[in-house]
Amino acid sequence: MTAPPILSLKGVSKRFGGLQALGDVTFDVRRGEILGLIGPNGAGKTTLFSALVGLHRIDAGSVALDGREIARMAPHRVAALGLTKTFQNVALFGEASVLDNVLIGGLLRRDVAGARAFAAECLARVGLSAIAEKRAGDLSFPERARVEVARALATEPKVLLLDEVMAALNHAETAEIVALFRQLQADGLTLVVVEHHMKTVMSLCDRIVALSFGRLLAEGTPAEIARHPDVVAAYLGREYVG
Amino acid sequence: MTRPTKLAAAALALLAALCLPLGLDHQGYAIRVATLVFLFGAMAQSWNVVGGLANQMSLGHAAFFGIGAYTSTLLLIHAGLSPWLGMLAGGVLGGLAAALISLPTMRLSGHYFALATLAFGEVMRVVANSWAGLTGGPVGLSVPFAPDSLALFNFKSTVPHYYIALAALCLVTAIFVWIRNSALGYRLRAVRENVDAAEVVGVDTARTKLVAAVISGVLMAMTGTLYAQLNFFFDPDTVFGAAPISIRVALIAIVGGVGTAIGPIVGALVIIPLEEAANLFLSSQVAGLSGFAYGLILIAVILVQPHGLAAIGRRFQRKSKGAS
Amino acid sequence: MLALIQALADGVMIGGVYAVISIGLTLVFGVMGIVNFAQAEFLMLGMFAAWFLWAYVGLDPLLAAPIAFVLVGGLGMLTQELLLRRVMHAPPVAQIFLTVGLLIVLENGALLVFGSDYRSVSTPYQAQALKLGPIFVSVPYLLAFVASAISGLALWFFLRASPYGRAMRATAQDPMAARLSGIDADAMRRLAFGLGVGLTAFGGAVILPYLTVSPTVGGQFVVLMFTVVVIGGLGSIAGAVVGGLFVGIVQSLSGLVFPIQLQNLVLFCVFIAVLALRPEGLLGARR
Repeated sequence: MTAPPILSLKGVSKRFGGLQALGDVTFDVRRGEILGLIGPNGAGKTTLFSALVGLHRIDAGSVALDGREIARMAPHRVAALGLTKTFQNVALFGEASVLDNVLIGGLLRRDVAGARAFAAECLARVGLSAIAEKRAGDLSFPERARVEVARALATEPKVLLLDEVMAALNHAETAEIVALFRQLQADGLTLVVVEHHMKTVMSLCDRIVALSFGRLLAEGTPAEIARHPDVVAAYLGREYVG
Repeated sequence: MTRPTKLAAAALALLAALCLPLGLDHQGYAIRVATLVFLFGAMAQSWNVVGGLANQMSLGHAAFFGIGAYTSTLLLIHAGLSPWLGMLAGGVLGGLAAALISLPTMRLSGHYFALATLAFGEVMRVVANSWAGLTGGPVGLSVPFAPDSLALFNFKSTVPHYYIALAALCLVTAIFVWIRNSALGYRLRAVRENVDAAEVVGVDTARTKLVAAVISGVLMAMTGTLYAQLNFFFDPDTVFGAAPISIRVALIAIVGGVGTAIGPIVGALVIIPLEEAANLFLSSQVAGLSGFAYGLILIAVILVQPHGLAAIGRRFQRKSKGAS
Repeated sequence: MLALIQALADGVMIGGVYAVISIGLTLVFGVMGIVNFAQAEFLMLGMFAAWFLWAYVGLDPLLAAPIAFVLVGGLGMLTQELLLRRVMHAPPVAQIFLTVGLLIVLENGALLVFGSDYRSVSTPYQAQALKLGPIFVSVPYLLAFVASAISGLALWFFLRASPYGRAMRATAQDPMAARLSGIDADAMRRLAFGLGVGLTAFGGAVILPYLTVSPTVGGQFVVLMFTVVVIGGLGSIAGAVVGGLFVGIVQSLSGLVFPIQLQNLVLFCVFIAVLALRPEGLLGARR
């Protein structure tokens, strides 16, 4: 018997006007794994994240978090149940300090004093303690992406959806984030990551789900995905060579 | 300024305010203006909870103000109820009205929210003018004459009103500061900056906005009672008016500095005496001159210092800090 | 039944004028993204312009309307250049209160210059009415409606056929793309604001034969204009036409049942309901 999936998607569909953004997407996220979500631009990765946390109301299908139906729930209730995400284009509270940004996530389960202490812990986990008092709007892009992660961590999620945290990072910074993700996994979190750098995705993730035009293309281990003819045809072949 | 210096400055200002009536004619014009400064400061501070912390530009706060003025006065006239209790009843009704308008409009922002709240204030004004059986209609209401009594909130002298208005300003400001530093304040800040991000990290944004709107409505309604007792007379176009109340309180907060605790106080200290002076010196000359000057000042403030006068103080501090 | 048809006819006549007045407001919002709280004051200026042209030059308000359009439109362009341009990228609070300040300045400025008297014009057709079958059509209403229809069509033609108009529509639809294709956004906004307040002033001039003007007349129109525009969808010109007719008819029909004060109440409630339920307007497409 395998453990039940922590996040289970069945037939998730979403239309924007005439555009089918997500069509009948079905897959499971296993407890404790790092799952990669790949696909060409416009494949629906970010839309899927937004739909899962409740920012987009899906037209059809179901999403179960730890066996509990969360589709059509308000995002703050989804967050309370343990699912949250970071924003690809970074959506920090720019006028507030870095610490206060993270503190707001911490308020989900704590009072102000408790949230402040916990926010400091979360900043330490992502290695940003030194800039806690800086104004979030003044940070560089890589720093902001990390604050996004810290703020999400402050809500104490069971499953964390990470949308292109490593975009615009150099080698050393990427390695740090990879180490951070592995540490989070070791701490018991389940991660779903969207990243464009294929080598990193292939080495980081336990399993990979490939989307194309809003539909599920393939699902499997990195090795299986790398060999999968549809995936190779869709886009891997161009970028992932060796 | 550091926290201790801020507190010391506030204590000093309060002490000065407490002593001020000693030097003024108790029935005179100056103390009346000072009372209005505190009262409008308290009103603008109530507005600041929604307009400043949530950044929802309400142009309809006269609705709550008028509800407060009418509730306590009607209860006094028809049931002989002390305005102090009437003020609480008005606060409850003001809070309910705020919830009523907040629920359909909370998804709106910026210009749309301003428009919807403006219309809501106008609805209340039209209702108060039309429902003459309850409100007395356009003729207005007079607070019944009574001997001096603290229990009945009735004083011939302006001095008690002065202290009550000062206490109201201190109280509303304390509530504002408390909200700003509480979980609600942090959530409001999150809502103000990015609703989607706030939701995703667990902020119930609808509830947050609703709670802020209700607190603001309750406080604003309670200041309505203070106004009624101070003036002894009011009519729908004054207490429910967009220009005399809604726009004015927003303007006071904006001129002083939106979202800061000191902003509405600074704004009231500048705007109210300015208006009174304009009325005193200009309105006897030609009709419209005081309003004209008033509008010009508003435009000038927005073009020159869009973050309010409080920001000038901050900028000055930053400069002196940089120099040292 | 007859009263109903009569009220409908009146409603259409009044509504046509509301449409033109409100097209100005919606045009300003569409191109600039600013709700101009002072728009009704430009209506007041248009009425005054027409009144002075009638009193001192002897010009009929309907003929004075194009002159009012040019004068107030020019003032509008100046306003855009000197004031509004500076807050185009400021937060909404600055934009809202700048136009509120403008409202206060214009209303009190008019009070200063023109005094608080109510002024009206007398025209030969003032009390005339045409009998069309069972109903009467008031001549001043009809003329105002026709003038509004002509100006509305002229604007439509301008936006469709002239390069300026096309550039303006492009700016309204996608300011970024418009700039990339070489359209001067500042010039477009100047033009839109001038055109917008000019049209509203035109509407003010054509209603002068059946209304009186005073510096505070704008207050009667401000919520009405916003209702029209919100019903049609902020920024939509076709929406303003439908919204104008709708509001005219609602007002006229509710006049059969309610006193004038409550007619406005009906409008306010429609206004809040539309804003709350469909902020994109009854006609607007959901984005």
